[in-house]
Amino acid sequence: MLDKVADRAGKAAGGASGRAKAPGIDVSGVREAGQADRRGSMSKSDRGTIFELRDLTVKYGGTPAVKDVSMEIAAGEITALIGPSGCGKSTLIRCFNRMNDLIPSARVEGSCLYHGQDLYGPEVDPVEVRKRIGMVFQKPNPFPKSIKDNIAFGPKVLGLDDIEGRVERALHGAALWDEVKDRLDENAYSMSGGQQQRLCIARCIAVDPEVILMDEPCSALDPISTGKIEDLMMELKENYSIVIVTHNMQQAARVSDRTAFLIVELDAEERDRWGQLIEYDVTDKIFTNPADSRTEDYVTGKVG
Amino acid sequence: MPNPMAERTRLATAGAHAAVVGNLGKQPRGDVWRGNLFLALLLLAVVLALIGLIALIVQSALKGAPAFSMDLFTEGPSIVNPETAGFRPAIIGSLYLIAGVVLLIVPLGVGAAVYLEEYADGDRWWNRLIELNIQNLAAVPSIIYGILGLAFFVRGPLSLGFVVAAGSLTLALLVLPTVILAAREAIRAVPPSIRDGSLALGATQWQTIRRQVLPASIPGIVTGVILAVSRALGEAAPLLLVGAATFVTADQPNPFEGGYSAMPVQIYNYALQAQDEFKALAAAGVVVMLVVLLALNSFAIWLRNRYEQQW
Amino acid sequence: MEARSSIEAARAPGGRLDPSRPLVASSPRWGERLIQLSLALCAVISVATTTAIVISLLVPSIGFFGEVSFGDFFSTDDWAPLTADPSFGVLRPVIGTLSVTLWSLMFAIPVGLCSAIYLSEYASPRVRKLVKPILEVLAGVPTVAFGVFAVTFLSPEIGKLFPEFIKTPPFAAGIAGLAVGLLIVPIIASISDDAMKAVPGGLREGAYALGATKLKVATRVVFPAAISGVVASIVLAGSRAVGETMVVLLAAGKTPNLTLDPGASVQTMTAFIGTTATGDVAVGTIAYDTIFAVGALLFVMTFALNIFAIRLVRRFREVYE
Repeated sequence: MLDKVADRAGKAAGGASGRAKAPGIDVSGVREAGQADRRGSMSKSDRGTIFELRDLTVKYGGTPAVKDVSMEIAAGEITALIGPSGCGKSTLIRCFNRMNDLIPSARVEGSCLYHGQDLYGPEVDPVEVRKRIGMVFQKPNPFPKSIKDNIAFGPKVLGLDDIEGRVERALHGAALWDEVKDRLDENAYSMSGGQQQRLCIARCIAVDPEVILMDEPCSALDPISTGKIEDLMMELKENYSIVIVTHNMQQAARVSDRTAFLIVELDAEERDRWGQLIEYDVTDKIFTNPADSRTEDYVTGKVG
Repeated sequence: MPNPMAERTRLATAGAHAAVVGNLGKQPRGDVWRGNLFLALLLLAVVLALIGLIALIVQSALKGAPAFSMDLFTEGPSIVNPETAGFRPAIIGSLYLIAGVVLLIVPLGVGAAVYLEEYADGDRWWNRLIELNIQNLAAVPSIIYGILGLAFFVRGPLSLGFVVAAGSLTLALLVLPTVILAAREAIRAVPPSIRDGSLALGATQWQTIRRQVLPASIPGIVTGVILAVSRALGEAAPLLLVGAATFVTADQPNPFEGGYSAMPVQIYNYALQAQDEFKALAAAGVVVMLVVLLALNSFAIWLRNRYEQQW
Repeated sequence: MEARSSIEAARAPGGRLDPSRPLVASSPRWGERLIQLSLALCAVISVATTTAIVISLLVPSIGFFGEVSFGDFFSTDDWAPLTADPSFGVLRPVIGTLSVTLWSLMFAIPVGLCSAIYLSEYASPRVRKLVKPILEVLAGVPTVAFGVFAVTFLSPEIGKLFPEFIKTPPFAAGIAGLAVGLLIVPIIASISDDAMKAVPGGLREGAYALGATKLKVATRVVFPAAISGVVASIVLAGSRAVGETMVVLLAAGKTPNLTLDPGASVQTMTAFIGTTATGDVAVGTIAYDTIFAVGALLFVMTFALNIFAIRLVRRFREVYE
């Protein structure tokens, strides 16, 4: 599995920044066995659709942050949202578990369906939504408690049983068990940044959501920690659907099955700016043969 | 024979160098002098403020020295016999008062702070009004609270009479803004990412507050409560109006019945007496209060600095 | 909190919630709403407090002004509310309050501001860490202690230095003012220090880059930039001095002299309230209602000062934070 990750890193060689694992590979020249049929199978998802956005617009205090986004997110895959800063990708991902509710001025228009239910329907309870759809944030945000209590918190407040077992399984699931099994009672702040972020992932999977949202989970981490998180994502894919926002195109190319590209749009007077979905397709296609020239300019590093 | 041109250049360079180095090394003398004078003035001000505090402590100790004995803690008040006069009912009264104050301010103060920080929409006019109102209440003269207590607790709606409970209620309202402001600050210091992390797991807002936000802000809240308690302990003016009497000789068995006394009021009354022995007694009382209050305040400040969480 | 059984029932054997289950709350969570309501009530208590203060001052004051005309109260200087033939010109206690406040500020403004400039611009972090808590401790000393200090130490010692200064020993507005001044120094020092610390470092660096001396930076750049906070600190300290009771009860005396002379004894508004309420004035008499009328005036005065100061503080917070 690791070699697959490395392979796909090559396809992002045109990207401007970040670590390039395989420099010098001709982007258009990469064609490998297995790649083609993977793409074929991915054009239609195996496990159905989890999210379906229809003309979704998010406004902060009246001004739109993202406008008219329509897309379907497949179950059991990793979907990446990429684009320049200010394109609303973080705003968009926060719609999927109603974290935007915490910003009083935020308004969501259009619809965001989760298994056919509108997440913003009148009866919907955001707490119920978040039980099913977990989130990992830009900066690791462990609670100021012991490692164990960090993970036990979710199962405890949700009233789940077998807390001890869940803690251990979650730590195994986040590939953290071996590193911390002897210091479960230490404060989470004693861990390194990368470990803290994996702890946050463990915390998330301890309540066993169906979807994990990741908002630039590696932006505060060094390359080695980033690699570990990416490996982890590939494993988590077996059990969870993942949506990731990243500013790092190579990361999107390495881990994701599908990629959505957003840009910043300006109105005629250049007063308002908002995010707009430009292209959404299988990751290989976005990075090798994008339909839109703006996508191509971005992934080849000409702009952004 | 040196080239005269080169020689001139060398001299000019040396001169310019000397001038520059000289300027860098020394400020104009007037500036140095003025700067030092200014600094001396500032230091004088700090020293004056500190001397005020030190003089107060030292003088109270010296003045009160003749009156120091266990009588202070075991004897009741007297206006005829300073030798056997003490503070016992006043100390007990103050303890009763403070117990009531703590019972009231902890839930009310923390509750208000949690509401304002976690639930209230700061753009709504009523929430802004509450906020402005608390800031103003923090600066309302304490004697006005005495009038409030007299009108609402001693007489009026509650009609408790001149009892400890009325004193506790009055002092609690007086220091409540202090607690609310301190608790809000402590709650605000908990980063939003902690709340996000908890909510994203499917915890409800109250679960997030009770299990994440409040535990993380306890040191700040405790500091605020201690500072408020020490303020309530030292307040005399409102108690004059809600009936802390001086010559209570028996210990109060019931906070809702019978007269009470309080430490600062007793000190005030001894200080009013003409005889020097009573003034000494007042000074000794001040020393007792200062020891307790300085200990409380130092502990609170230490606690705050010790647990200042680095996020 | 939700009942465990219903949650567990809704979970698949692996523990995951069934995605097809509706996203409505598993219970209405009344507890949660009840908690929010009671927290809001706690916050409302502060508004109720203010309302209660206003009512407790207003109702007796209305009774008072039914008997005494506004003109007599505000514009005459005959003040003998407790005598058999009473007069109610409030000017004397008002001037008494102003006198003590004035003398306290004369001491506290220079000392407080200089301390603030020293702490914010000159003191090393170590000194700052030492002096700041001491100032906070000073703010925690009970006011009755300052009163005892004034009457047992300041008054006799100053009387020895200037034998003619205090007209009716040990009482003098200036002595009370000095003690109140000591008490409000921490207010001025700490709020002004906050305001000056809030001035962005870039402003200082810009001035230094132009060759300004430390003195010039402190007095011509930082101080003016922090002026709204500095003024707010002085106004708040003034409000505190106006409302201070125990010190003036002990050190300013009870004679309502109409003078700003620091050596004269004065009766402040707070001292009047304090002595009258502890004396034996019968409830319901006009003399008793005078307490509330004077209290109402005191409240209005300090309220105006506080609101002014709060607005100023908000301004410096908005500019730099």
